Amino acid sequence: MQWLDAIVQGVLLGGMYAQYALGMALMFGVMRIVNIAHGDVMILLSLIAVSLAGVLPLGNVGLVLVIVPIAVGLGWLLQKFILNRVVGADPLPSLIATFGLSIALQNLMLEIWSADTRSLPNSDIASASFQIGPIYLGLLPVIVLLCAFCLTGGLDAVLRYTRFGRGLRAAAADTEAAAMTGVDPKRIYATATAIAVGILGLAAIFAALRATVSPSDGSAQLIYAFEAVIIGGMGSVWGAFIGSMVLGVAQAVGLRIDPGLGILFGHLVFLLVLATRPEGIMARKK
Amino acid sequence: MTTIHHTRVQRATLSSRIAMSIGIVALVALVAMPWWATSGNIRWAIELCCYIAIAQMWNLLAGYAGLVSVGQQAFIGVAGYMLFVLAQNFGVNPFVAVILSMIAPAVLAVPTYFLLRRLDGPYFAIGTWVVAEAVRLATSNIDYVNAGAGMTLRVMTQYSQHEREVAFVILCAILLLVTIGGSYWLLRSRHGLALTAMRDNPVAAASQGVNVGKLRFYIFVAAAVGTGFAGAIYYMAQLRITPSAGFDPFWASMAIFIVMVGGIGSIEGAIIGALIYFFADRLFGEFGSAYLIVLGLLTLIIALYARGGVWGLLQKLGDHPWFPVRRKLIVEDIS
Repeated sequence: MQWLDAIVQGVLLGGMYAQYALGMALMFGVMRIVNIAHGDVMILLSLIAVSLAGVLPLGNVGLVLVIVPIAVGLGWLLQKFILNRVVGADPLPSLIATFGLSIALQNLMLEIWSADTRSLPNSDIASASFQIGPIYLGLLPVIVLLCAFCLTGGLDAVLRYTRFGRGLRAAAADTEAAAMTGVDPKRIYATATAIAVGILGLAAIFAALRATVSPSDGSAQLIYAFEAVIIGGMGSVWGAFIGSMVLGVAQAVGLRIDPGLGILFGHLVFLLVLATRPEGIMARKK
Repeated sequence: MTTIHHTRVQRATLSSRIAMSIGIVALVALVAMPWWATSGNIRWAIELCCYIAIAQMWNLLAGYAGLVSVGQQAFIGVAGYMLFVLAQNFGVNPFVAVILSMIAPAVLAVPTYFLLRRLDGPYFAIGTWVVAEAVRLATSNIDYVNAGAGMTLRVMTQYSQHEREVAFVILCAILLLVTIGGSYWLLRSRHGLALTAMRDNPVAAASQGVNVGKLRFYIFVAAAVGTGFAGAIYYMAQLRITPSAGFDPFWASMAIFIVMVGGIGSIEGAIIGALIYFFADRLFGEFGSAYLIVLGLLTLIIALYARGGVWGLLQKLGDHPWFPVRRKLIVEDIS
């Protein structure tokens, strides 16, 4: 029973990771860019949300309505002033640029918010729970998981069926050929980054509701998102979702074995997948 | 009437002869430090040598082999820990142990490379970070190395301060010879041509018969060993190592900053960058996070606007290589 509980809690934790991982999968799929500041941007949004909640009586839903547009704007700025200049076949410039940004952001947040851990004020949702059989489920983690599920399904549908999705897949397959058929890669890139960071805005609020955030937490979130994407299989949003579940379960099971082993177990599962099935568990057969 | 062309290959330049002389003087001065410098200055010199070596190794990886790693701290940490375990738990002479501790990064680098080579460029980078984090967490859970509390190198108390300083400056001189001298030798050799070709275009290099995969593997292991050597010397001088210090991602940030600011893809760049970082750290380190914001932004700006770094700008003023790796054909007419 203890293990069933660990698996259920792991899946719920995976819902949180899926929200970090979706944006990363989207950006890498389209631009072949990994934004090293991915986690730091999320933490920045969380801290902005915490500070806003202290000043304005918005409520959680109001906070989402304020933070997500800020996140989309931030994504657009990121694309316009940094990523557009470093998109290319060579991975080095984008890595170095976002790495520098990550260090600058982390320390900027340290200057503004100090190293204290913060969270959003305790509301009813955060502490509510219900029982199914012998297992207790937190209401908030379940909402997080459902949101992650809907986001994944929505993103998958957008990629499959909309004009933007077709353009995006075309640009991902061959940028120049896509440009020749009337797709504007710069616009596709900007939209993809805006969506990716917009999802992070939602994740940021959930993260601050679920637990605490502090300026130095970003790199851990980046690593989890990355592991989820690789475990699931690159280039697939459902892969990122399933990868997040696997990572969450691995961490929760490790944590039950020894409190010091949770995160390490996640890393080990990631390395195991890399050793045995490097294309990821959800990858299509070629 | 036929003219006989006598040709020869010229490699050294005036600037390289001057640089080489300065290098030898600097190396001799380094080894003589215990007799003319204060202990504080020697500590600084050790630190600077480690920075140069770690940055040079990262430059070889990212600048030539196209392997961007943000997990070099894994090799620093394991080499440091192997030194502490050998010297403290097995009673090996620490100055022998520091040489032996280069085995650990080599052993770690081989499986790491084979696991991560499957990942695409940017994912390779984060993969190295995951490996470093996994090794850090594993180390924090091993009671044999005192888990998260770290280890202290008590055996060093059996040597006088002067003895230690002499040993340290000699180790640092070897470190510089191995990392800078080794890189220079490598780049001037046949493999250097292949590496330079890979730096400019890996696909084209492969089509010219360069075995890109094999060369990348060798460079990855060599860079791990060089980085580990520097790490072992650094923590030997610190006399203390903990998982959070030895496997600190800041090591990677530092190497990236040094190489990007100095100029990636050149030996000179890593040295210039290390000097800039070292003095900036002395002058502005007290400002803490404000100073790090500037470092981060500087790295970002260089990646966006001036990929060649300081050495790239100097090159525009005039071609005066310190470590020339090019070959120039001189044709002399003898009629």
